[in-house]
Amino acid sequence: MRYDVTLPWWAWVLMGLGLAAFAAMVVVSVRRNRGVKRSLFAAPYTLWMIIFTIVPLIIIVYYALTDASGNFTLNNLRDFWDSNYSRRAGASSPAIQARLAARGMSNMEPLLYSLWMAFLCTVICLVLAYPTALFMADRRMKRASSLVILFVVPMWMNVTLRTYAMRILMVDDGPLINFLRLIGFADAQLMDTPTAVLIGMVYNFLPFMIFPIYTVLSKLDPALLEASSDLGASPGRSLIKVTMPLSIPGVVSGITMVFMPAVTTFTLNVMLGGSKRLMLGNLIEQTFTKQNNWNMGSAMSLVMMVLILISLTILRKADPNNEGGGL
Amino acid sequence: MVENEHLIDLKHISKEYDGVKVLDDINLYIRKKEFVTLLGPSGCGKTTTLRIIGGFETPSSGEVFFEGQEISALPPYKRRVNTVFQKYALFPHLNVHDNIAFGLKLKKMDRKEIDRRVDYMLELVNLKGYGKRRTDALSGGQQQRVAIARSLVNEPEVLLLDEPLGALDLKLRKEMQLELKRMQQRLGITFLYVTHDQEEALTMSDTIVVMREGKILQIGDPKHIYDEPANAFVADFIGESNILRGTMIHDELVRFAEQDFPCVDFGFGENAPVDVVIRPEDVMLVGEDVGQLTGTIQSVLFKGVHYEMMIDTGAYTFKVHSTTMQPQGSRVGLSIVPFNIHIMKPMEGFRKEEETGEV
Repeated sequence: MRYDVTLPWWAWVLMGLGLAAFAAMVVVSVRRNRGVKRSLFAAPYTLWMIIFTIVPLIIIVYYALTDASGNFTLNNLRDFWDSNYSRRAGASSPAIQARLAARGMSNMEPLLYSLWMAFLCTVICLVLAYPTALFMADRRMKRASSLVILFVVPMWMNVTLRTYAMRILMVDDGPLINFLRLIGFADAQLMDTPTAVLIGMVYNFLPFMIFPIYTVLSKLDPALLEASSDLGASPGRSLIKVTMPLSIPGVVSGITMVFMPAVTTFTLNVMLGGSKRLMLGNLIEQTFTKQNNWNMGSAMSLVMMVLILISLTILRKADPNNEGGGL
Repeated sequence: MVENEHLIDLKHISKEYDGVKVLDDINLYIRKKEFVTLLGPSGCGKTTTLRIIGGFETPSSGEVFFEGQEISALPPYKRRVNTVFQKYALFPHLNVHDNIAFGLKLKKMDRKEIDRRVDYMLELVNLKGYGKRRTDALSGGQQQRVAIARSLVNEPEVLLLDEPLGALDLKLRKEMQLELKRMQQRLGITFLYVTHDQEEALTMSDTIVVMREGKILQIGDPKHIYDEPANAFVADFIGESNILRGTMIHDELVRFAEQDFPCVDFGFGENAPVDVVIRPEDVMLVGEDVGQLTGTIQSVLFKGVHYEMMIDTGAYTFKVHSTTMQPQGSRVGLSIVPFNIHIMKPMEGFRKEEETGEV
């Protein structure tokens, strides 16, 4: 029963105190305002968050900072950078492993691979999304609203199902490959390659890039573009000098919404990439499920969360007023 | 001051939106250095006319000429015209200096020259030293000035102004009216100004164009428009008026409010229905026994410079402006000199006094 949640007494006390503080807050608020205040409407959500967000976080931090017998240690975090670890995890191909072991950076490979794939995915999404959003936000385009639906409808379907649909498209005897072979790419292969994973990521995350940009663009005062044209700017110059600078909040928000899930994705790598190269998400998943090493898995999750937090903070600087409606 | 050469000619301009006609055969010319005001109630087509000249709308039919060249299809960025927008439309991502420099930078002008011109403009609009400020940190009046500077710095042939003072309070508006007029005279630029405020139009314009429902009703200088309104609508829109239905008995004699009045108008024929317009300040209060009409004072309002009294003669309730006040309920005589009775052809669809007998 080692991996039942056996938290030390202080963790329970901490959670108890949190819940007590919450209850006190509610009581004080009701008393002071002689009735129900608006902010109380947030109480159910706050309670939910404490139970299902704060508590798991505490559990993760606890496991990350203890060893198998529950004693405090920083070894898990140190092991994250340790080359021996990846061999135990049975990670990448033997050749890669040997190379990594020589360099002494085992977990770095999946980590960098995840970041690189997420970066590529974000860039591709941005390049695809910006013109689309521009088109959708153009008031003169009466058909633009049907395009919005085109992007929304796939989101009604479950991600896993959607990805299976992509598999059918990309498998070795599938229509896409056959077509590629027909036009001369004899060795064309998509399934189980990083390209397939990337295509899947872009497909799944593209709407999260389009919508924040679309929202900002559609709120853009058309008088500003008229003013720009009036002052001598051709449509192209107006795009560069007015529309683009003013849509930065939407772009920042879109980058956040795509990059975050892209870094942490692991199902797409399993379903489309055949897990040939591990991503950080796969590594964490395997550490929990295959190795049953909760301490190490928690430590890795913690590192990932810190990385995301850092990138969020950097992005935040570009949109200080949170105009893009980001996270 | 105003030169005779035509700068802009509008010829038979019509504009339809989804089958609804908002401009109907507009013909208008604007001369160099002229201050022209398009005046009318909202929905009269004045802003559409301005936007057609600015290039933001294309006319459904008709042509726009600029110095004799047809420019109807030319996009805004190719026209030598600049616009001051109703809500200023300042670029929120640029500071005051960069907003004003926007047009000059597009012309790839030398940096130092740009700075020099922007500084000159800031001085002209009384915003010296404001260059580094964010535009959203400025008051409405200051934003207004930045918008004007941003347009004027490009040295346009014509400056189009779309109700630029609408968002300012009364005192600031009056100051800006004078400032704009001064700027226009100093720089010698043609101004085309759109407003629904008749007082603004009278104060600033060389020429006023009164519009209604997509048509031009009258073009003339302010004094002409005020003293000789072409019809009851213009009379009512420019200043306050008593508008009555009357009958032209014969030349120089008109009957209204159940009385015959000598007047100076002629050429309407005999026993012809007409609109009679009398300005409230042109109705004189006299003794009950010597007036052309007698009436009872129904209400008295103090308006600052004058009193506004509603006087019921039985046939019509006159609005009268006078610096002397008669108490409510008292009987007075009313007298109108022939010169101040304005007779005009009755106007279709403009009969607001008909039902109630009041304006």
